[in-house]
Amino acid sequence: MKLSKESILGLIALGTFFILALIAPGFLSSNNITSMMFQLPEFGLIALAMMVVIVTGGIDLSITYIAALSGVGAALMLTNGYGILPAIIVAILFALACGAFNGFVISKIGVSPILVTLGTMVLFEGIILAITKGNSISGFSDGYSLIGNGYYLGLVPLSIVIFVLFAIITAVLLSKTSWGRSVYMYGSNETATLFSGVKNSRVLMKVYLYASLLAAISAIIMTSRYNSVKVDLGSSYLLQSVAAAVLGGTNIHGGYGKVIGTVYAVMIFQFIRNGLNLLGFHSSLVDVVIGAILILVLAMNFFSDKFKKVAETRKAEKAA
Amino acid sequence: MKKLYLLLIAALLLVGILAGCVAENSGSSDSEGEAEAGGSEGESAGGEEGLDIAVVPKLVGIPYFNASESGANEAGEDLEGVNVNYTGPTQADASAQVKVIEDLISKNVDVIAVAPNDPASVEPVLKKAKEDGIHVMDWDTPADKELVDISVKQVDDEEFGRHMAQKLVEAMGTEEGEIAILTGGLSAANLNLWIEAAQKEFDENYPGIEIVSEKIPTDEKQQVAYQKTLDLLKSYPDLKGVLAVSTPAPLGAAQAVQEEGLQDEVSVVGSALPTDSAPFLEDGSLDTAVLWDPGKLGYLTVALGKMLAEGEMPEDGQEIEGVGEITVKEDGKTVIMGPPADFTKENAADFDF
Repeated sequence: MKLSKESILGLIALGTFFILALIAPGFLSSNNITSMMFQLPEFGLIALAMMVVIVTGGIDLSITYIAALSGVGAALMLTNGYGILPAIIVAILFALACGAFNGFVISKIGVSPILVTLGTMVLFEGIILAITKGNSISGFSDGYSLIGNGYYLGLVPLSIVIFVLFAIITAVLLSKTSWGRSVYMYGSNETATLFSGVKNSRVLMKVYLYASLLAAISAIIMTSRYNSVKVDLGSSYLLQSVAAAVLGGTNIHGGYGKVIGTVYAVMIFQFIRNGLNLLGFHSSLVDVVIGAILILVLAMNFFSDKFKKVAETRKAEKAA
Repeated sequence: MKKLYLLLIAALLLVGILAGCVAENSGSSDSEGEAEAGGSEGESAGGEEGLDIAVVPKLVGIPYFNASESGANEAGEDLEGVNVNYTGPTQADASAQVKVIEDLISKNVDVIAVAPNDPASVEPVLKKAKEDGIHVMDWDTPADKELVDISVKQVDDEEFGRHMAQKLVEAMGTEEGEIAILTGGLSAANLNLWIEAAQKEFDENYPGIEIVSEKIPTDEKQQVAYQKTLDLLKSYPDLKGVLAVSTPAPLGAAQAVQEEGLQDEVSVVGSALPTDSAPFLEDGSLDTAVLWDPGKLGYLTVALGKMLAEGEMPEDGQEIEGVGEITVKEDGKTVIMGPPADFTKENAADFDF
């Protein structure tokens, strides 16, 4: 019985859920379950975006500001009397413009992603501040607020449906398309990928574009849910999303990462945060617990990889 | 084949959305929701007897909100049958704060008092709390007036801003010269009101004062305020004064003035806690810190939360034990704790927050 990294993580998620269901009062109430479903998508989408970038061995530190800027785009449209669809399109266009800029500097000019996105993080923040003067833009139509607060077919929150949809799309893109395969290849060894005839820069460009698209979807859900947008919307998700991607088994050096792992990781974060809040833990303790779990899982992964390597070399020696 | 499945699923989803099947409420949990929304009559999730009052700061872990936490907890000990739950996000991010409030609604507390990072963003969640029969208040920073039953304010914003402006002119010892204004976040409503009031005071009474630039944001961080003040001192060598609002900003500004040895040339006045200010007040790099007692503010919030849950409303001039005499504005909701307090070299050591 050999379990993959992701399945083990899935079991951990399940275990967390059951433990919290036992000890946290009201964790299983229908109210709380729906409230968790409403809370998860916005962070989940950012984490997926971060994962796709990390698979290439890069990182996108500007992702939450791309989301905030895209939210500002939507908010400007809505407050100026445009409908929901144009607002969504503008939000996506704003984000794609940011993603294209990141992608261009990283793939065509070849600057390291961490430096570029550190720069664009400040740049996008500056653009948002220039547009909003630091104030929040708020007061959208009731129709728009249904995206983040409504129920699909009266059963489940629409936002979780959107999240699941994009998780599936991301998984299919990464595992079933040639672009997806190139992304993994590039993350493992960019030189070899280049020499095997893959247009690296095109692959990378699409990665940053796709990440910004996911950020835009997250932004649409957030602006709809909070009925407002402000420069630091979702800013606390930035490093959390890196943590979720890594906890989900994505290799920080690139080359490996699965959507389902990231989804499990996002769920673990969600359960713990919500459960500890219900137990009345101090927020700083919640961060401590999440940090501890992250270190623990990473250490486990590290040792299991090491153990595998040792076993392999032994086998090789025996064969020799 | 797979493509066909995907297409089918996508079509189904689209049809669902287009058919307008996205409703305000879920069909299934409605009945249960109503059963649970007993508010004060229902069993609290904690299973303990008494009132559960949740106080949500903008963020936890900065000195100001730590001080209000001890005040809130003190009120919880003093008052009969009150459990205080002081919890907030670890970063001043509106979305993280909303999640904390949503979890408190799940906990079924009786009163939620929030200091919103972004008043607009807590609107939907506060509406939801009200629907569930929870009493909603704001403290420290106002939320949407329509939604809250009581709004607890530390000082009158107008009075506070003008007071700081006067203190700065006093510290400069002249009614002429260049000054700069530092703020926390550009969208913090209360900081903006103070700055507007201070600007009015300068315009009306001190025409010789020139403000060199737009208000400068410091992200509620001392380090950023320090850096920006250093830049200011370089760009405007004739700068005579700095007005810094938000609690970390005056400290950062004073730190820069101290480092450059400009204590006598540049006056700094701002809203900061006395214990943090003490080292800077000592050598005059910070001239006056103007604030209020955040501990008392936390205490008052819990005391008023208890009154609210018991169906009482505060009255103008009422004496609140442990706080003092409060003022209630005409709207009957807005409670002002008292006049601002000045902390100087002489008295800073007398306070423990």
